[in-house]
Amino acid sequence: MGLDPRGTPQEVPVVSVGSLTKVLPGQVVALNRVDLTVMAGQAMGLAGPNGAGKSTLLRILLGLVRPTSGSARLFGEPVRPGAKVLGRIGCLVDGPGFVPYLTGRDNLRLAVRSSGRTVSSAEFEVALEASGLDAALDRPYRSYSHGMRYRLGLAQAMIGRPELLILDEPTTGLDPVHASEVTSRIKAATAAGTTVLLCSHELAFIDQVCSEVVVLHEGRVVLAGGVAEMVESAGSLAEAYVRAVTGSGRGTGLHEIGAEQVNP
Amino acid sequence: MIVAEWTKQWRRTRTWIVVAAAALFPVVVTAALVASGSGQVDRVGDIPLVVVPKRSGISVPFIALSSTMRFFLPLAVAIVAGECISAEARTGRLRYALANPISRTRYLLSRAAVAGSISIVLVLVLVVAAVIAGLVAFGWHPFTAVNGDQTAVESVTTLSVWSSLAKLGIGTAYIIAGMASIFTFALLLSTLTTRPFVAVAGGAALSVASRVFNADYLPGVNLFSHYMPNNDIDLWQHLFAHPVDTSGMARFLVLQAVYAAVFSVTAWWTFTRRDVLT
Repeated sequence: MGLDPRGTPQEVPVVSVGSLTKVLPGQVVALNRVDLTVMAGQAMGLAGPNGAGKSTLLRILLGLVRPTSGSARLFGEPVRPGAKVLGRIGCLVDGPGFVPYLTGRDNLRLAVRSSGRTVSSAEFEVALEASGLDAALDRPYRSYSHGMRYRLGLAQAMIGRPELLILDEPTTGLDPVHASEVTSRIKAATAAGTTVLLCSHELAFIDQVCSEVVVLHEGRVVLAGGVAEMVESAGSLAEAYVRAVTGSGRGTGLHEIGAEQVNP
Repeated sequence: MIVAEWTKQWRRTRTWIVVAAAALFPVVVTAALVASGSGQVDRVGDIPLVVVPKRSGISVPFIALSSTMRFFLPLAVAIVAGECISAEARTGRLRYALANPISRTRYLLSRAAVAGSISIVLVLVLVVAAVIAGLVAFGWHPFTAVNGDQTAVESVTTLSVWSSLAKLGIGTAYIIAGMASIFTFALLLSTLTTRPFVAVAGGAALSVASRVFNADYLPGVNLFSHYMPNNDIDLWQHLFAHPVDTSGMARFLVLQAVYAAVFSVTAWWTFTRRDVLT
């Protein structure tokens, strides 16, 4: 990577995953030679049934899970636990995680101080403001409703305006009002140039937020491409998804087709 | 990061409850001594010496340490160390902390440093509260103990207050160091489970096991009872022997260092390599 023969900078993918395989204890194959590329400014949604490997993929990209084989790179750098490149990412994974007896404000402050990142107080205030929690920021986290907890979690993910947001089920269990609020926050971030990689069960949510979609099934990519094209060819995202998941016997070749469509 | 985590712990009610318990215990002991009217209360360890608490307040911290070193202090240390990582995994903070540009080694070290310093504070609070309670109740007089060995000629040992304080300092340091095996074992369990209870109970069980595999209770186990992690925690009492014998203390401290090294290296090894799925 870096330079092409003429010496002009080549665009380095924000996320590039090659032949990524993860075997969990008990010989469960969570990911089976998955290829995936996300370019700067894209918003990619991962869909797939439970156990398809979506969360495992996101956790590998966050340095939380080690791949069995294959490569996972962020901004061209290999991801390892504690890698420097993790400082350019914000995440909301499997629900927010905060200290129950501290206030929302103190929780965010503690999260920043323990993060090994430098965040200016102005950026910190912006994140507090954007959470929309207002006076509730000074109440203990344990008194927060489910929706408020997700707002705080999203605020934490967005502190310091990370270049990449990794979001695992950011709307799960939220009522429609809170879900649409989260949706509009993520859309605002993508409009501002942030790259997004998220996974969700809710295809309508992916349709609203994402420009690209990848469907995983039993650890393999069974469908990949632009959301708009998929809606055009199959009629709806849901239809494309169902076809890909139900029609994906082993060796259908969809995996290869998907890889071609993702890589521009 | 250490400062932030340290501050956080002290904003937690639970921390203050454990500290309050450590401070309250010597007060209760002192009150019981005052109320009982008995002059001779505590037999000091495996040497035939009986402390006469009412003669001097400085005897109270020795009694407090003797009666807490086998269960209360190991339990308190197991609580603090056992929650160290597992509680973070349970609330979900672990995955957010580790999805950052900080190494897992650094994360583990800083959390262990916070838990370790809180454990030390707990022991110190117990000792200082005992000194204060003892001095208030019985005054600032030389420490007195009588030889409790019925077959020997009865003799009375007295120690100046300053000499007693020096022995108290050494004994306290010995007990703190003697908690290292329990602390690191609970820490190891804490890196393996997301249920703090499991890690806390495991740490406490280790100290109980040390006590059970003791020649006093089970004849025939003396082959390995001196290799149990917490069995010889009482040997600081040899500071009162004539002449002072520190060979057992030295042996126990080496044993602690070995246990602590094995447990903490294992904790580091597993924690830096494991998948975070919680």
